[in-house]
Amino acid sequence: MFILFALITLLGAGAMILQKNVITAGLCMVLTFFGVAGLFLMLSNPVAAALQLIVYSGAIMVLVLFVIMLLNSHEEEPAKSARPIQRWGGLALCLVLGFGALRLALKSPAAAALGAQATQARAMTLEQVGQELFSSHLLAFEVVGLLLLATMVAAVALTKKEL
Amino acid sequence: MDTLAHLTGLSVATLWMLAKVLIVITVLMGLASPLTWVERRGSAMLQDRIGPNRAALFGKWRILGLAHVVADGIKFFFKEDLVPPHATKRLFWLAPMLAFVPAMMGFAVIPIGRSFVAGGHTYHLSLLEPGNGMGMLYPMAIGGIAVYGILVAAWSSNNKWSILGGMRASAQMVSYEIGLSLAILAVFMVVGGYDPHQIIADQGAKGWLIWRQPIGFLVFFTCMFAETNRLPFDFAEGESEIVAGFHTEYGSMKFAIMALAEYFHIITASALITTMYLGGWQIPFLPNASALATVVAFATKVVFLCWVFIWIRWTLPRFRYDQLMFMGWKVMLPLSMANLLLNAYWMRSH
Amino acid sequence: MGVIVKQVELSWLDRSYVWPVMKGMAITFRHLLRQITTPSAKRFTIQYPDMKKTMPKGYRGLHELKRFEDGAIKCVACFMCAEACPARCITIEAEEFSELNFTQGFEEKRPKVFRIDMLRCIYCGMCEEACPKDAIWLRNEYELAAYDRLSMNYGKWDLMNTYAAADGKAEIREDLLPAVVRGPVAL
Repeated sequence: MFILFALITLLGAGAMILQKNVITAGLCMVLTFFGVAGLFLMLSNPVAAALQLIVYSGAIMVLVLFVIMLLNSHEEEPAKSARPIQRWGGLALCLVLGFGALRLALKSPAAAALGAQATQARAMTLEQVGQELFSSHLLAFEVVGLLLLATMVAAVALTKKEL
Repeated sequence: MDTLAHLTGLSVATLWMLAKVLIVITVLMGLASPLTWVERRGSAMLQDRIGPNRAALFGKWRILGLAHVVADGIKFFFKEDLVPPHATKRLFWLAPMLAFVPAMMGFAVIPIGRSFVAGGHTYHLSLLEPGNGMGMLYPMAIGGIAVYGILVAAWSSNNKWSILGGMRASAQMVSYEIGLSLAILAVFMVVGGYDPHQIIADQGAKGWLIWRQPIGFLVFFTCMFAETNRLPFDFAEGESEIVAGFHTEYGSMKFAIMALAEYFHIITASALITTMYLGGWQIPFLPNASALATVVAFATKVVFLCWVFIWIRWTLPRFRYDQLMFMGWKVMLPLSMANLLLNAYWMRSH
Repeated sequence: MGVIVKQVELSWLDRSYVWPVMKGMAITFRHLLRQITTPSAKRFTIQYPDMKKTMPKGYRGLHELKRFEDGAIKCVACFMCAEACPARCITIEAEEFSELNFTQGFEEKRPKVFRIDMLRCIYCGMCEEACPKDAIWLRNEYELAAYDRLSMNYGKWDLMNTYAAADGKAEIREDLLPAVVRGPVAL
């Protein structure tokens, strides 16, 4: 199961990058989200899986696709000039980031716990998520709320000419 | 059940799962095609017409136009399967599936009757067992991806009308999902849980949520109409403005699947409304009804709500697009927020 | 012409949208009940091939060329109908009677060919009005359809027998001579 979902995620991500067509790339991204949701389920965290689907594929990608359709650019714009440095730079950055992520993951206590006898994890519920959010992550939660408010105000200020 | 499990060499749980999947899919399939008949004949009766009644089985039995369901199916099978030139072929093929599968998947979490004990096993009448951690978040997640069927169909057709329909559908879904989510949140808060079994049990103990949260019910009901793309919210289709919207280019079996998906959406939406606000499988004043009776009660409620969907469709005209957006953002959203706050206040004071 | 538009002040109940929707649903449901309980013979819809509407008096359908009691054609081939026809769909060729005693009685002409192209005819009834002898009538038959254009060309015998079955008369496909001498019609 894990391999299946991992493959879905990776294939979706790969196809998204290689796809020249914007809409198809967006749909591949949705596929990736599905794979990630599946991985969340495997980690016995159905809440995260459901939220992943609701928020990312249900709302954000729909909006992104909406905007793409609104702009309606069917033709792919070829790059003005091929610059190999972009390609190599991107690749190098990817490698560095991947290496960093891998090292972090291996160093984390979760990885150490994996080696120990795996216990049957209890499924995460919405109640637990709420308690975590409002106890140990309260500050971050409030800050995110403030940030969202700021973006909303900014969006209104940008679009409305006369307030 | 035990002997059957012994014979097949499968566990009782697996067998029961298989049976449930089979039953639910057959019932859904079996319900969708009569719904097309109800839609056509019922709409005719609502409008003082007679409706389709000419098709006859073997040229003899007209049976109130029910033969039209069969005739339509046969016709769709034998029509030419046309893919318009310049359409993105793969996505064009994928879209009906994308519309069809989420419409059915949403049903999985809904309990269709009381859990019962037989032969030492407890049988739950929902595809996903209670306490799975997804609860009512699952149909919301599935509902969120239901729009992709329309979007992909719209975009891959390479047709201006289709794209317009798809854009309308996506904007509408996003706007109404917020009101929907807030209405559901109020239910979660009052019940103190988000598992459908829990919600139904709470409604059995304290009264149906339609009486306890009439505003929430109103918002949820309206948003469900928007989610299923039914009139007065059928902007994706809008045949008087944009031909047939997202399925302008679809024909034959692909169109049939699209149409079926719409009916599955109606059934799933009705089941959701039943579970959330109409007490699920509960029978009023009969707290200890048998499992079979509860299934019948649930089916009755769902069928009645399906009829309401059709009834409203043939009563109301389509909104204008700005009215739709006005409703979504300036009516539904504040209403559901007020509902949430009111309930929170009520809970605090009690 | 200016029209004064009446602004209707809606009550808060009517503006709530929910109540009017319920009212609308009640109306449609009432229609449903009425339609279901009405037997199909009394519904508004006439289920055409099974049920037929009785045409009103004076309906202008398929033409008939009238005969006298004795079977002779009333038409005297005066071409009035052909002249009056706005669609120019009537073709007449006249012929003479050879018998002397009939020619003395004013009836010396009759149509050899009388053809109406039903595809061109607009069923206006001008021919009927123009006819001095009351020889052409437009009656209640309206089911005119054929598989080819030629069969929509109604000839003299077709036109004389269009309502023979409906009136319970025998079909006659020959020119019968008048049994008696007929005087002029007083105008």
